[in-house]
Amino acid sequence: MSEGLIQVEGLSKHYPPNVKAVDDISFTIQPRQIFSMLGPNGAGKTTTVEILEGLRTPTSGTATIFGVDVTKDYSSLRDRVGILPQSFEPFDNLKPTEAVQYWAGLYDIKMTKSQVNSLLERVDLTERKSVISRSLSGGEKRKLGIALSLINEPELLFLDEPTTGLDPKARRDLWRLIEEIRKKGTTVFLTTHYLDEAEKLADDVAIMHKGKIVARGSPRDLIARYGKMTVIVLSGAGSEALREIRRRGIEATEENGDVLVPVKDPTEMRAIFQKISGIELHAKDIYTRRQSLEDVFLNLVGAKMDEGDLKP
Amino acid sequence: MSRILADIKGFGRQYLRSKVGAFFTFAFPILLILLFGAIYSASGNQKVSLPVQNLDGSPFSVAYLNELNNTTLVNIKMIPADANITNYINDNSLSLALQIPANFGSKIAGGLGSNYTGPVLVTVYGDRSQSTFGTAVAAVEAASVSYNYNLSRTLPLVAPGVQDLKEGYKFLDYFLPGVVGITVMTNSLFSMSSICAEYRQRGFFKLLATTSLRKYEWLISKFVFFSIILVLSLLTTFAVASVVFGTHSTITLLSLVMIPAGTFLFVSLGMLLGVGIKDPESGAAVANAIGFPMMFLSGSFFPLDMMPNFLQAIATALPLTYFNNGLRDTMVYGNTGSAIANLLVVVAIGFIFFLLASRLMSWKER
Repeated sequence: MSEGLIQVEGLSKHYPPNVKAVDDISFTIQPRQIFSMLGPNGAGKTTTVEILEGLRTPTSGTATIFGVDVTKDYSSLRDRVGILPQSFEPFDNLKPTEAVQYWAGLYDIKMTKSQVNSLLERVDLTERKSVISRSLSGGEKRKLGIALSLINEPELLFLDEPTTGLDPKARRDLWRLIEEIRKKGTTVFLTTHYLDEAEKLADDVAIMHKGKIVARGSPRDLIARYGKMTVIVLSGAGSEALREIRRRGIEATEENGDVLVPVKDPTEMRAIFQKISGIELHAKDIYTRRQSLEDVFLNLVGAKMDEGDLKP
Repeated sequence: MSRILADIKGFGRQYLRSKVGAFFTFAFPILLILLFGAIYSASGNQKVSLPVQNLDGSPFSVAYLNELNNTTLVNIKMIPADANITNYINDNSLSLALQIPANFGSKIAGGLGSNYTGPVLVTVYGDRSQSTFGTAVAAVEAASVSYNYNLSRTLPLVAPGVQDLKEGYKFLDYFLPGVVGITVMTNSLFSMSSICAEYRQRGFFKLLATTSLRKYEWLISKFVFFSIILVLSLLTTFAVASVVFGTHSTITLLSLVMIPAGTFLFVSLGMLLGVGIKDPESGAAVANAIGFPMMFLSGSFFPLDMMPNFLQAIATALPLTYFNNGLRDTMVYGNTGSAIANLLVVVAIGFIFFLLASRLMSWKER
């Protein structure tokens, strides 16, 4: 395997008496990608990220960024790495312009007024740049957090659950921003428990569960490997239709009154449709749905994920 | 150095924009001075109200009441002679009363003749725990001594003379350094313990750990910021006390050195307390548990020698005592040697707290 921007080998973090927050994980991240570590709450995502950010000491294993061992010399990486911590909250009584200037000062960076304005424009905070931070919305606060993490123009950006708790519009705004950051050549390490977020943004996904990486690949690869590709949805068809379909030897499941018929091989699609059309159904709608990371996660972990919590 | 300045500027903006910070730095000491100044500037001229029941009514008792009035310590109000004095005291919620007995005149007349059977007793009813009781007894004793001289026609051979050690100085001059001490402690100790807890809870420490700012630089910036605003607070408080109450205590060069020294001590103590505190509520509780008793036992509000011996012994173990004493030494007594000794104690204790805090405090997770 080629040498990556981040290389993690046998990394573990244990807490007494017997908690394995991170359990012997290894992975490599290539530059200029969005890498997403996906998993439910407590999977070990933040612990892994904080080890890479030099904020926690691993129990065992190695982690290097740009070839530098993060446990030994993280300080030499500060100028090349940007960080948005989990649940970021800006300092309440500073305006975004002041917060940017303050943070730049802590990196020994002198920013002119126009540089500050340009950074805030990049994260779409121009209109709110003179408002005291406590008055900003949740999405605006995260945007400010991203602005702060970009002050040192990092080559690698850690975003730890950047959209948790935000409304759909604010999430979409941040997704656009993250894509733009990647386009400028920055490598993004994104942790999230939103499957759609990882699927939408990531080039490379690692699904983490109980401290271990249980699957790794691009969203398309993961769906191909662990998903059932395409599903025919018979909306509102109900249990009677399910019985009839199964009587004809077709595999199907019921979910909230909908009957789902998985199509493992696309060439079988026509034949399955023909069989179904022979049944008298009372479906509101019939359509096909491509499988997503959500289905992959369900197949791998055996549970669904709702706001980071596992639901059977 | 530039990181320290950036942190002073950024943190300073946040602190001064918070209503709590601005209140405790500037409004709190001025409020204390105005309140205590108003209370104590009036108390010097206040007379104690003394209800008197005269059961005698002879010229002797009237003359005695005149002597009592001449002390200028009491305002005499008469209780009806036919009232039961204990019932009257209860019914009127009195804390003081004086009773002149019915045989006052006849007994004095007998004593002036050849039938002396001992002094006639005037009785002060009151509560010994109240300061007004002491004033009333002193007035009755002074009136009795003067009355005895006049009746026996002897000349006083000894009389007390009073010389002010500090001409023109008022209680407020002694109180002012205490207010400064409280302000320095409140701002530094209470703020730092709460800030440490808040920074830990909201992840600000982790955030700071990712920047180029070092832990010692953060500690220095807090010390410098609080020193600057507390010197400004001292100047403002003194200006108000001087203009409103005409105080005479002076801001010396040494007092301006004492402020950063006290700030260093209490910022360090606040950080030390903040090491183990997880949330701001606990931070405030712990700082209050330590700071509040210290406020009262360190001579901020009243002199230490008014307290029982065991509390005076406790006071010697409290750092605020040395800070208050040092400020009074230089600002009121002009005793530079003693002020420097207290300053050294403050710096030494502060240095111990600083070393412990910087060693134990961690911005990272274990």
